[in-house]
Amino acid sequence: MDEVTRQKATPNEVDRALAHLDPDAGRPSNVVDVRNLSLHFGAKTVISDVTIPFERGTITALIGPTGSGKSTFLRTLNRMNDRVVGFRHEGEVLLDDESIWSSSQDLLTLRRRVGMLFQRPNPFPMSIKDNVVAGVKAHGIAKGRELDVVAETRLREVGLWNAVKDRLNDSPYRLSGGQQQLLCLARALAVGPEVLLLDEPTSALDPLSTEAVENLLRTLVPALTLIVVTHNLGQARRISDRTMFFYEGRLVEHGPTPALFESPRDPDTARYVNGLMG
Amino acid sequence: MSVVPASYPSTRWRRAKVGLFRAFTILALAFVIGPALWIIGGVVVKAVPGWRWNVLTTLSQGTSGGLENAIVGTLLLMLGVTVVAGSIGILTGIYLAEIAPPTRRGRSSGAVVRVVIDVLSGFPSIVLGYVGYVALVVGLHWGYSFLPAVLILSLMVIPYIAKATESALHQVPTSYREGAEALGMSLGYGLRKVVVRSALPGIVTGLLLALAIAGGETAPLLYTAGASNTLPSIAPLHHPVAYLTYYVWTDWNQPMASAHVVSYDASLILIVMVLTLLVVSRVIVARTQRHSESAR
Repeated sequence: MDEVTRQKATPNEVDRALAHLDPDAGRPSNVVDVRNLSLHFGAKTVISDVTIPFERGTITALIGPTGSGKSTFLRTLNRMNDRVVGFRHEGEVLLDDESIWSSSQDLLTLRRRVGMLFQRPNPFPMSIKDNVVAGVKAHGIAKGRELDVVAETRLREVGLWNAVKDRLNDSPYRLSGGQQQLLCLARALAVGPEVLLLDEPTSALDPLSTEAVENLLRTLVPALTLIVVTHNLGQARRISDRTMFFYEGRLVEHGPTPALFESPRDPDTARYVNGLMG
Repeated sequence: MSVVPASYPSTRWRRAKVGLFRAFTILALAFVIGPALWIIGGVVVKAVPGWRWNVLTTLSQGTSGGLENAIVGTLLLMLGVTVVAGSIGILTGIYLAEIAPPTRRGRSSGAVVRVVIDVLSGFPSIVLGYVGYVALVVGLHWGYSFLPAVLILSLMVIPYIAKATESALHQVPTSYREGAEALGMSLGYGLRKVVVRSALPGIVTGLLLALAIAGGETAPLLYTAGASNTLPSIAPLHHPVAYLTYYVWTDWNQPMASAHVVSYDASLILIVMVLTLLVVSRVIVARTQRHSESAR
């Protein structure tokens, strides 16, 4: 670079340069936009008329008593309910302004973009390394030697590398529950999702593992958008930017997490966050 | 001082029940293992003293001579059954367990296929053999030959393979399927790489059982493969195929001692073949399952 071009950039120019580097530039600020969504299994209505945007790069916690429909809501966002007998939906879910049910939406690509982590760790019956790269292979993202690089990168990202680097070809079931969940997280991250859905990701884990997973989740934003179903109110407060309270299939209240917990507007929300209703 | 008495009145009865149950399970085990050992032992005792290695390398002369033609024939028939019944049976099982769409009441619409399979497995093998004779050997003018024999044996064992495959797939945890689905794997890819892989021991066991049945079958082969004292021909039609059970059965019914020797030799070879199959498949399964949840 010569002397002439190396002059001081104005703040505006910096902004423009950064905006150019930002992969999310020019994309809607709400990565997922749910509009008037109702979900039914047969004659039973599980979710009625929910409208809520999910802002890019944030963590949203979905809380509510068992049977409030929050898990069903979550599993709808990557269309995991589509094959369930009797499942119907009304309304729309937009991913980057495009309906997830639109005919131009490829289901497999949708699920690559919207990853999921389950309540119980579910590593596949293959080696640790093969687990990390399972999705990468399926989508043909990398192959051969590149897979080793992907495996190491992702295992480092979830803080598992040092624990497993000498046994990449071992069975994943010899790992502790917490390590298995981190492995599943590495597997989900490896395909480069934009949104990650987490269905009570730590409810099967001990407190130390829970802390490790929670700390990790905070490092994933703002690169990713996280939507977490949790029964652990403390967890919702610790990790989420916004919280949504579901009760009997309705989205009763939502807002910034501190506000929802400290000054809930709805009496049901107040009872739930204060532990008077489980 | 313990508040609970050292021995309840019921404790003795409970222990007696446990003991009784254990005795019954051991008895049941003996009923299974006893005859198997007895038969294997009997064949070994009768066959080994007169054993000649050239049985493996010389052709049969009916009631004497070697069994090379029958060994090659049985191996070829088993190979044919593995290919035909293995592929159809496993695919049928995968269809029933994974693909047949569930009906509104949650039952699989594969019900029709299931009934057909049950009916098929209920046919006596000699009936299937006769059907093969009428329809293929005579009806299509195929003559006693390899292809009708493989088709009829396959028809006979497809139900075993399909059912073993279906039940093995039902044992695979739902979390594997969900995990594959959530990663954006297609149904077929997830089945191949994750689901079928973990059901492999059950599938292989079913296939093995089917092969053992096929290899040990006689009646349908009499109607379809015919009999031959020469090595099987390359041609799948119009050329009879030799097989071990033919000599076990036919030569035992002969009065000559030399024929009985052939009969025992054929039995021994068949048993060794089946046991080898068993061991090899276990080794394969153990290798593919070294990352399974049960093998930690």
